[in-house]
Amino acid sequence: MSVLIMPATAPLLRIELRRNAMLWVLPVAIGLFYYHAYRHVMVGPALWNERAMSLQNDTLLDFVAPVTGAAAWTGWRESRRAVTEMLTSTARPRWARHLATWAASTCWAMAGYVACVGVVYAITARQVAWGGPLWWPAVVGAAGIPVLSAFGFAAGVLFPSRFTTPLVVVIAFAALLVSDHPGGNSRAAWALSPLVAGSAAVGADPNVAIFYHYLPDLPIAQVMFLAGLTMVLLGAIGLPATSGGWRLRTGAAALAAAGLAAAGTAVGLAGTARLDAHGMTVIPALHDAASDQPIRYTPACGGSPVQICLHPLYAADLAVVISAVEPVLSQVAGLPGAPARLSQALPEFVPGQGSAPPANPSEFALTGVPGAADDAGALAANAAFTIGRDVLGVTQGPPASGSPAQQAVLSALLTGSPSSQLSGLASQLVPPGSPAAAAARRFAALPAAARHRWLVQHIAALRDGGVTLAQLP
Amino acid sequence: MTAVGLPVLVRLHLISRRVPATVIALVACGAVLRGALEWHWVKGSGNAALQFPTLFEAGTAAAIAVTTYGPFGEPERATGRWLPWLRLGTALLLTGVAIAVLAAGAAAANLPGGTLALARNVAGATGIGLLAAAVVGGALAWIGPMTYVVVAEVALSQSWTSPWTWPARPPHDRGAAICAAAVFVAGITITAVRGCRDSLSD
Repeated sequence: MSVLIMPATAPLLRIELRRNAMLWVLPVAIGLFYYHAYRHVMVGPALWNERAMSLQNDTLLDFVAPVTGAAAWTGWRESRRAVTEMLTSTARPRWARHLATWAASTCWAMAGYVACVGVVYAITARQVAWGGPLWWPAVVGAAGIPVLSAFGFAAGVLFPSRFTTPLVVVIAFAALLVSDHPGGNSRAAWALSPLVAGSAAVGADPNVAIFYHYLPDLPIAQVMFLAGLTMVLLGAIGLPATSGGWRLRTGAAALAAAGLAAAGTAVGLAGTARLDAHGMTVIPALHDAASDQPIRYTPACGGSPVQICLHPLYAADLAVVISAVEPVLSQVAGLPGAPARLSQALPEFVPGQGSAPPANPSEFALTGVPGAADDAGALAANAAFTIGRDVLGVTQGPPASGSPAQQAVLSALLTGSPSSQLSGLASQLVPPGSPAAAAARRFAALPAAARHRWLVQHIAALRDGGVTLAQLP
Repeated sequence: MTAVGLPVLVRLHLISRRVPATVIALVACGAVLRGALEWHWVKGSGNAALQFPTLFEAGTAAAIAVTTYGPFGEPERATGRWLPWLRLGTALLLTGVAIAVLAAGAAAANLPGGTLALARNVAGATGIGLLAAAVVGGALAWIGPMTYVVVAEVALSQSWTSPWTWPARPPHDRGAAICAAAVFVAGITITAVRGCRDSLSD
C-alpha cells in the first residue's frame, strides 16, 4: 500500500469506529462477563494464578457470541444493504474496506475485553498479599478476540445471509466448548485452544507462579496459533475476484499462506510438548532454562526451639502452623533425626499419580488457599506427626510397627496438642485401657522439660526397642 | 380469499421468510448434533453432557427467530388480515420441524434428558428469539437465543436450580416447563400480532 493511500484509510477507520455494530453488543458482552466470568473468578481466593488462569478459561466463552455475531453481522452489511455494486466504484479496493471494517470491530471488542480483564486485575492487585500479575493468560485471551471477530467477519463477507450470523456463533461456541475438554494428553493440538491455561492432566496447579514460574511455552504457541488463524481468515476475505486487483489478491494469498505456516508451526510445536516436574507444559523449542529456577522469596519465619518458615504468601498461617507443630517438635528438638528448622516446600509431582509429599524430613507441603487456618493446621499437624514418628523409630502402618513403649511415648507426645487431629491420633496409637495407654498417660503427665530430658538419655534404646513399658517414667 | 389463493399466499409467505433455507439449517443442526453425540465431542457426564445439545437447541431457535424478518417492512402490515395467521403458522411450523429434526438426529444416541427436555428447551429458546425479534428486529433476533445459551451453559456448569434456566432442569420439572411454555407463548403471540420490529431502513 503506498503512502498516499494510508492517510485516506484513517478517515475510513474513524467512520467505521463510530458506526460499528460491535459497539452496540459490547454491553451484552460485559453483562455476560459479569454474570459468568467475574462472579466465578471472584469467588475464588485472591491468588494471581487462580484468577488469571480461571479468567482465561471463562472470558472468551462470554465474548464469543457477541463478538462473532456482531462481526458476522457487519461482514454481510454490504449485501444486506444492497450497496456492494455501488461501493465497488469507490477508490478503496474491497479488501481494504473490509480490513478497515474488521479492524474497527476488533478494536471495540478488544477494548471491552481489556476493560473487563483490567477490572479483575485491578481488584486482585488490591487483594493479593504477595506476587505480581500473571500476564500470559490475559495475553492469550486477548489473542483470541481477533480470531473470533475475523471468523465471524469472514463468514459474513463470504456467505452473506440472514442465517450466517446465528450459525457462525453456534460454530464458534461449539469449537470453544470442544476445545475446553482436550483430554489428558498435553501434547494434543487441543492444548492450543485459547481456553486452555495448563495441562488437563494436572489442572490449575495451586503452586504455579508462587514457588515456580508460570512457563510461557504454551501461551507463546497459543498466541502463534491464534495469530496464524487470524491471518488465514483475513487473507481468505481478499481472495475472491471482487476483492481487488491481482496484486492485492496475491498479497491476500501470501497473508493466508503465512498464517497457515504460523498455525502449522504452532501445532508442530505443541506436538513436542511434555510436562515438567511441576506439571507445567514445556515446549523445548520455546523453553527458557531460566524459567526452571524457583522463584526467590524471603520466607516468613517464627517459632522456637524449632524454627518454622513459610512462603510469604502463607504468612497469615504462620501462627496456626506454629501452634500445631511446636508442642510436638519442642519435645523432640535436638534428638537424632529431628529437624532444626521446618520449611514449607512443594509437593513432588508424579506424572499419572498426582502429588507426593516432599522427601526431605525438614520440609512439609502446605498448599491450598493461604489464610485457610483449618487446612494449614491440619497439614502442619500431619507433618509434626510424621517427624515425631520418625524420630522415635515408629514406621508407618497399618499396622504401625514399633514396641509398645515407642507407641506409648509417641501417643504421649501427641496428647495435649491443641490440634484435634493430633489428639485423635494419640488415642488411636494405643488401645484404651491397655498398659500402653496407662504408660502414655504417665509419660504425658510429666513436665515437658522432664520428658525431653528422658528422651535425650534414652532415645537410642527406645529406637532399638530396648525400653519396656515399665521402664517409662 | 379463495381456496386457490390461500396456498399461493402461504407459499409466497414462506419463501419471503426463507423458510426452505431455515429448514435446511435446522436439518444441518440435527446432523451435527448426531455427530456430536455419536463421537462424544464433549467429554463428561451429567450436566456437562448437556452443553452441546443446549447449544444446538439455541442455534435452531436463532435460525427460527431470524425468519421473522420480512423483506417488505412496514407496508406489509397493510396487506390484509391473514398476516398474523401466517406469522403464527410459520413460527409453529418451524418450531415443530426443529424439535422433530433434533429428535431424529438424537434418536438412539442417548440424548441426555430425552426428547421431552429437548422440546422444552427448543420451545423456550424460540420464545426468547421471537421476543427479541419484537424488540430489536428480525435480522438481529439471534441475539436473544445466543445470549441465553451463554446463561444456560453457565447454569449447566454450576447446576443452577432456577426454572428460568430450563436446560439445567430435569426433563419432568414442572416449573421449568411452565417457564419455557410461558416464554414461548408470549413470543409467538407478540410476533403473530405485531410482527418483528421494523427498522427505518426497511
